[in-house]
Amino acid sequence: MKRCAIIIATLFLIICTNAIAGVYTPETLPKVHLYDKTRYVVNPDGILSQQAEVRIDSMLYALENKTGIETVVAAVESIGEQECFDFCHTLLNSWGVGKKGKDNGLVILLVTDQRCIQFYTGYGLEGDLPDAICKRIQMQQMVPYLKAGEWDEAMVKGVAAVYQRLNGEPANTDTAPEATASLWLLLLLFIIIISIAATKARQITRASRTCPKCGKHKLQPTQSRMHVQENGKDIIRTVYKCSNCGYTVARDEDNENDDNTPQGGGRRRSGSLLDAILLGTLLGGMGHGRGGGFGGGGFGGGSFGGGAGGGGGAGSRF
Amino acid sequence: MKKSTIIILVILAVILLWGVTAYNNLVSKEENVNQQWSNVETQYQRRADLIPNLVSTVKGYASHESETLQGVVEARSKATQITVSGSDLTPEKMAEYQKAQGAVSSALGKLLAIAENYPDLKANQNFLELQAQLEGSDNRISVARINYNNAAKDFNTTIRRFPNNILAGICGFDKCTYFEAAEGAEQAPQVEF
Repeated sequence: MKRCAIIIATLFLIICTNAIAGVYTPETLPKVHLYDKTRYVVNPDGILSQQAEVRIDSMLYALENKTGIETVVAAVESIGEQECFDFCHTLLNSWGVGKKGKDNGLVILLVTDQRCIQFYTGYGLEGDLPDAICKRIQMQQMVPYLKAGEWDEAMVKGVAAVYQRLNGEPANTDTAPEATASLWLLLLLFIIIISIAATKARQITRASRTCPKCGKHKLQPTQSRMHVQENGKDIIRTVYKCSNCGYTVARDEDNENDDNTPQGGGRRRSGSLLDAILLGTLLGGMGHGRGGGFGGGGFGGGSFGGGAGGGGGAGSRF
Repeated sequence: MKKSTIIILVILAVILLWGVTAYNNLVSKEENVNQQWSNVETQYQRRADLIPNLVSTVKGYASHESETLQGVVEARSKATQITVSGSDLTPEKMAEYQKAQGAVSSALGKLLAIAENYPDLKANQNFLELQAQLEGSDNRISVARINYNNAAKDFNTTIRRFPNNILAGICGFDKCTYFEAAEGAEQAPQVEF
């Protein structure tokens, strides 16, 4: 046990020192957008200032709201020996930046030790943001500042130029189908919950009506109902009779609930239906919660839609 | 009907069902390979389409480098003549295609190396953007090639596995050729000072 703890501590230390050294892979880069949908800048080494981050985030949030284009801006000290292009390629395709089918994702990567700035466009953005334009933005807006080490200025200006270029492009404005899709999903979920609840309720009623002797669902409550005190509990004992074989059975029910409704059977049934709906909702809710993190992008966290790219964009050294 | 006949019929039905599903699976995998191949060709074509523009831009600044320019134009016209459809991707045809495209790559490499000697050309916005497009094209080519190789590997593994290999043998599914890294041709030429 002790040894185990030491090993874990050592591993943790190694991971920590690795993080301090700041060599990132697309797997280890934190996906900040998934925790907060208004954030797009991955800045684990603190290369960009808080203000620059906020300015870039606000532009990209507006861009996504208007055009649906999903962006990741990453500024890191080192990605080891990896090529900037390969890094972006893996990042966009493994994170799935961009909407599925539209592939309108964009990755902007700054690596300070390799001194490279790389844009990577998904398939769907290659037309709106061609390689030549990426290069032009880099050479005119970014490289002069990058050469001087003014990371904030370079990234803000670069993103602003991309934003200007992409904002209002009619090709990417139809976000309506997305909304209806989620509406349909919600409706489907609702139907599923209701049907689970109904089935559950039916099962419970059927079970309560199954005759233990002949197995038919013909058990009917008779007029014979008694109040019994057992272990300090108030119990209603009802006698059921099977209309098929005539077998009689007594069943107990807690009477701790306030009202003594005369039609005991009715109360029991409504209670079980309520239970079932509750259970169904819980079950449904569980499924929804699990899916929400990536697909739905509901509460606070954003999502990536599963876009793909095939080598678009441009890169520059400075 | 005898019991044995029924058993035989059931076994036959199961085999038939398996055969149909396995065959359809092979067909869709082969189609995927073809699609990836056509994507490779598209990307090479895209690069070829950039060349006339690039050549005319360089000509404006370095007209006396006609030999290199001529080399690029010739390599391009040779390469665009060779097209291989996905269905007859024999190793020989693949090698021929790759050699022709490799010649374009090395001619382009020479051209870009020459451009280093002309500061005016290097500063030209048009040239810079063409160069970026060319780079993007090369990136797309390499991605398309990797995707093609993955699709080919997937297909080849499927047809070599038992019992699919029997079915593939009967229906005549052949192994797909991989895109190998060409010896020397694909590498950019070394610039010596």
